[in-house]
Amino acid sequence: MNVDTNAVIQRLVDDCLPVRRLPPTWALALAWIAIALASVAIVVYFASPRGDLADKAGELRFLIEQGAALATSVTAAIAAFMMVVPGHSRAVAALPVPPLAVWLASLGQGCTSNWLVHGAEGFSIEPDWICFPAIVVVGAVPALAMVLMLRRGAPLTPHLTMALGGLAAAAIGNFGLRLFHPQDASLMVLVWQFGTVAALSVLAGSIGRQVFSWQQIMPARVRASGVG
Amino acid sequence: MDDAEERQVRLAGLMRAAQDGDKAAYRELLREILPLLRRVLRARLRFLQPADIEDLVQDTLLSVHAVRATYDPARPFLPWLMAIARNRVADNARRFGRRVVNEAALKSWMVTFSAAETNMISESYGDPEAMHAAIQGLPRGQREAVELVKLREMSLRQASEVSGMSVAALKVSVHRAMKTLRGVMVKGK
Repeated sequence: MNVDTNAVIQRLVDDCLPVRRLPPTWALALAWIAIALASVAIVVYFASPRGDLADKAGELRFLIEQGAALATSVTAAIAAFMMVVPGHSRAVAALPVPPLAVWLASLGQGCTSNWLVHGAEGFSIEPDWICFPAIVVVGAVPALAMVLMLRRGAPLTPHLTMALGGLAAAAIGNFGLRLFHPQDASLMVLVWQFGTVAALSVLAGSIGRQVFSWQQIMPARVRASGVG
Repeated sequence: MDDAEERQVRLAGLMRAAQDGDKAAYRELLREILPLLRRVLRARLRFLQPADIEDLVQDTLLSVHAVRATYDPARPFLPWLMAIARNRVADNARRFGRRVVNEAALKSWMVTFSAAETNMISESYGDPEAMHAAIQGLPRGQREAVELVKLREMSLRQASEVSGMSVAALKVSVHRAMKTLRGVMVKGK
């Protein structure tokens, strides 16, 4: 770099314009959830809610899994927003683990019950490729909103942050999918739906640095003047 | 309120003012955190040159500037600043690490292959007296060509001007002389 640090400070001071403070994490999370739920509601409306939705609403397993998916989404979003504020512990990344564990446990318990009741027949996997594009479509607007909101923060852990953001969007996408896609067999949900959520989270995490890095947010004017 | 707390409150106040566009407060803040950053980075990265530390300090200042909107005035300032500094150190450690590895690799290029003959500093010409005798035994034209082109390291054009021989004749003479010398020296081993 070899530029005098006092000159750097002077350039930064010259570039010191008023900035809009990042809202508190809870406010960001609330705003994102509102956007995500609204977008999911629109997609579910146009895709036509499943015919047995009223019956399903009284089914404990369905409620637990949908509740866990929604809670995973909300906690992942909170964790992602906390990760972009310097000074928070990285341990907050574990926030979605409890609801994720409940979700997995419910699906696992469903698989075991099917195995005990129906034997090998209850354990068959059929192709259900629609899950992947459907979750992507339902989660697209929440994902876009998440990226735009995260980019206002600091890219301290781009891969982890984007993985959490991806998990939040994919989990709410799965939540929406089950409102119009009548597939409730635990093994099928585990493989095709939970599998898609996991794959999308990993994919989002892998492109973390491309979407969100220091280089992208460094002050352009200051860089242009020869620093950085 | 002790000094540390007072300092936290003052820095938080300066940063809040800087977020609102107060240049004087921002200058004061950056000047106050500058020695602190230098001290912390120097303590963490003792193996780096002072110029590298200064690069890192500047990088941290740029990062602070880029994400100053993420500071919440209700929270203490220094943990926020140090989180950024730690992150920039971790990011840049890879860059410095790569450079150190490259520098080490350059040092080790002195030995390129394990075979001894590939690692001789200078070529060996064998017995210099035998070589001298062999040159003296060459026909006059070839001897003159070798002396001018090989021993005095003249270009063919210069050697041509000195000897009066054509460039083509010099090339042929040097070629024949080298062939003869190689044969004599190999036979003499």
